[in-house]
Amino acid sequence: MTAIAVPARPERPSNAKRNLGIAAVAVAFGTALLTIDMDGIEELPYAIGRLFYRIFLERPPDWTYLGTAGEFMLESIWIAWVGTIIGATISLPIGFFGAKNVSSGLVSNIVRQVLNAIRAFPELILVIVVFIPIAGLGAVAGALAVGLHSVGTLGKLTAEVVESIDAGPVEAARAAGGRPLQIQRWGVLPQVLPEVVAFWLYRFEINIRAAAILGVVGAGGIGFLLQETLNYRRYDKASVVILVVIVGTIAVDIVSGWVRRRIIEGAGARRTTADELEQPELIEGASEQIARP
Amino acid sequence: MSATAAASPARPPRPRRSVTVPIGILAFIAITWAALSAEIGIGLDVLEILSDLGNGARIWAEFLEPNWAFLPQTARPMLETVQMAIVASVLGCSLALPVSFLASRVTSPNVVSFVANRGILSVVRAIPDLLYALVFVAAVGIGALAGVLALLLFSIGVTAKLLSETVDGVDAGPIESARASGGGRLQIVRWSVLPQVLPNYVAYSLYVFELNVRASTVIGLVGAGGIGRLLNTERVYFRYENVSVIVIELFLFVFLIELGSIWLRRRLV
Repeated sequence: MTAIAVPARPERPSNAKRNLGIAAVAVAFGTALLTIDMDGIEELPYAIGRLFYRIFLERPPDWTYLGTAGEFMLESIWIAWVGTIIGATISLPIGFFGAKNVSSGLVSNIVRQVLNAIRAFPELILVIVVFIPIAGLGAVAGALAVGLHSVGTLGKLTAEVVESIDAGPVEAARAAGGRPLQIQRWGVLPQVLPEVVAFWLYRFEINIRAAAILGVVGAGGIGFLLQETLNYRRYDKASVVILVVIVGTIAVDIVSGWVRRRIIEGAGARRTTADELEQPELIEGASEQIARP
Repeated sequence: MSATAAASPARPPRPRRSVTVPIGILAFIAITWAALSAEIGIGLDVLEILSDLGNGARIWAEFLEPNWAFLPQTARPMLETVQMAIVASVLGCSLALPVSFLASRVTSPNVVSFVANRGILSVVRAIPDLLYALVFVAAVGIGALAGVLALLLFSIGVTAKLLSETVDGVDAGPIESARASGGGRLQIVRWSVLPQVLPNYVAYSLYVFELNVRASTVIGLVGAGGIGRLLNTERVYFRYENVSVIVIELFLFVFLIELGSIWLRRRLV
């Protein structure tokens, strides 16, 4: 008989923002889909099937081409390696200048904006506009472009890691009479180095993919080969090139991923702790969520 | 005297020097030497580049005088770039949703489907967007369709990888409670897993859109539609004053989209 006092039902949270977001995406998508000029969509399944047939079935892959394809893939790997080293070397000091706690607020803001500007240019644009005019066609122009773009991403990440350090060692170095450079060397660098080196390796993995495409504008690497074989309809060779790109990229990813885990966690450590670091793509865009201790 | 001296603890043994570090450094030096040398690698010569800076300066001077009269001609290709990015991002992220549930240990119906999906995803992701564009231009011809298809595959690869790993890490509690109350596999995914990963899914989608915006500006270089195609024509005819206009436009475009995307993501997280 004693009625239990039922608390008032909580109010339903508003869905207005969510619905607005969904509506905005739907409108943008609808407009784009209705206005975009997609010639040939009605023949799409046929066209894809035809290409698949030509590449994989019409003639068996020309395995004698494996050597040439391997050489060009190796050139892509060299480009990525050199580009990553250029990016790492330049971005390390720049990252310190871009961190509020090391440099001043004004300097770090300027450095961050410059880095943002660099990152807005894809490697392909950098190579066309900046580096082919200097170095001419070839792998050197490609490596320089990959390097400059890497400075943009690595500098930003380094700055974020430096900002998130523990202040204790810095104070200790200062208390022990360290000069500014010594404070950075002994108070900051050891704290950030493992994470920063892991970023370098990530960048290397991303750069492999960038270096694989630079060839289409003549900046070295395997992209050139794929363009040539497809343009001349040598599908038996194109299939070998595609295979080499896939195998080469995955092999580099595996080796680099193993080294990275060793650096971050030491030998024999569990791999679960570096969960965020397992998402290389997010490093570029959403690093502000990741680069926290 | 000696009685008052505090017993100092024995000095801890010095940690054993690791052999992997010197080996790693040696390997690094050897690979770098090979990469830089002209015989094996790419033949990078810093002095030569410095002496060639003059050549670059002459061409760059032409970039500094953009031909603004060219601007109206870029409007249509620029619009096509945006259209490709939007269509591919929305389609790609939608298709990636079921794929990521199939490619996660938690929600995949069986081991075979899990391993197969993960394997396919890593192959899809190993090919860069521009190579997809090359292949699709060969399949369906020059135009926006090839671009949309290339970006689509690329978006599925990235979103599904990120999301399937997030699904791997969801809290098991809601799954158990859904199962205990008699939920089927699909119902578990819908009511226990999806609500947990939805914020990440939105963040990944925004990120993929950003990637697509960048990629859509360049895939035209191989004939896949958008502003890249115009850029390539102007480039091969050495009309640097027009290339300059396109590059400035691209820069502003990518920069603004990224600012907007970062702002949105901050508000969501």
